[in-house]
Amino acid sequence: MDLTALYTTIAFYVFALAAVVSGAAMIVSRNMVRSALWLVATLGSVAALYLLLSADFLAVSQVLVYIGAIMILMLFAIMLTPGQVDIPTQARGQQVAAGIVAAAIFGISVSVVLSHDWKLRPDVFDLPTTWLLGTLLFSTYVLPLMIAALLLTAAMIGALVIARED
Amino acid sequence: MPIPLAPVGLQHFLVLGTALFSLGLFGALSRRNAVAVLLSVELMLNGVNVLLVAFAKYTVSAEMLAGQVFAIFIITVAAAEAAVGLAIILAIYRLRRTVQLDRLDIING
Repeated sequence: MDLTALYTTIAFYVFALAAVVSGAAMIVSRNMVRSALWLVATLGSVAALYLLLSADFLAVSQVLVYIGAIMILMLFAIMLTPGQVDIPTQARGQQVAAGIVAAAIFGISVSVVLSHDWKLRPDVFDLPTTWLLGTLLFSTYVLPLMIAALLLTAAMIGALVIARED
Repeated sequence: MPIPLAPVGLQHFLVLGTALFSLGLFGALSRRNAVAVLLSVELMLNGVNVLLVAFAKYTVSAEMLAGQVFAIFIITVAAAEAAVGLAIILAIYRLRRTVQLDRLDIING
């Protein structure tokens, strides 16, 4: 194994472990503020993994949109609902059921992933993606892009209307 | 099974994305705080995004970056969902003074 592959492997395991551990910590910690901060750690690790997958634009948008905007929104929601930071989790029975469902989905998906014969790309794909993504978004995917813009506008207006104090 | 420290490939990322998705699913089903459920849904969306970007890098497809474009749209939808979801949670909190899901039985009549 050459040195680059070794570094990639080490980086993958470090960030994958960080993502899964902080994701699990987010699920189990009862305090909502801690939960949100653990999710920030997960999102940051996922951004690093995007870099390993040669998705530079997505890694930066992950930091800007998820960590910068969505998580701030979540923290605002936590702070605007005082007295609600420390709600216990669901009853034991529902937790066991949820665990069974999640574990079953994980098991089935992993067995499919490992047994399926994926059609792998012969060449190594490693390009700066920003220019390519911009070209794609404004040519092939221009209709979905406009729909996404409309969706965002509708969501912002809807959020304003719903959250307004009458 | 991918043996530890084998060169990282598609399957490593697929297993990781599935793990994040399942963790988020467990959280969405087992938390009682509405905001925590929204956070768990964000975790699920991120797991799916990891899968899409991994497919874009490693598998053969007609359009080289289709997976990454799709991931961008998922981020957009996640932002919209978070904004509307949090607005609904705030409105409910103003009405009922709680965001504990099993106390929110307004729709039960």
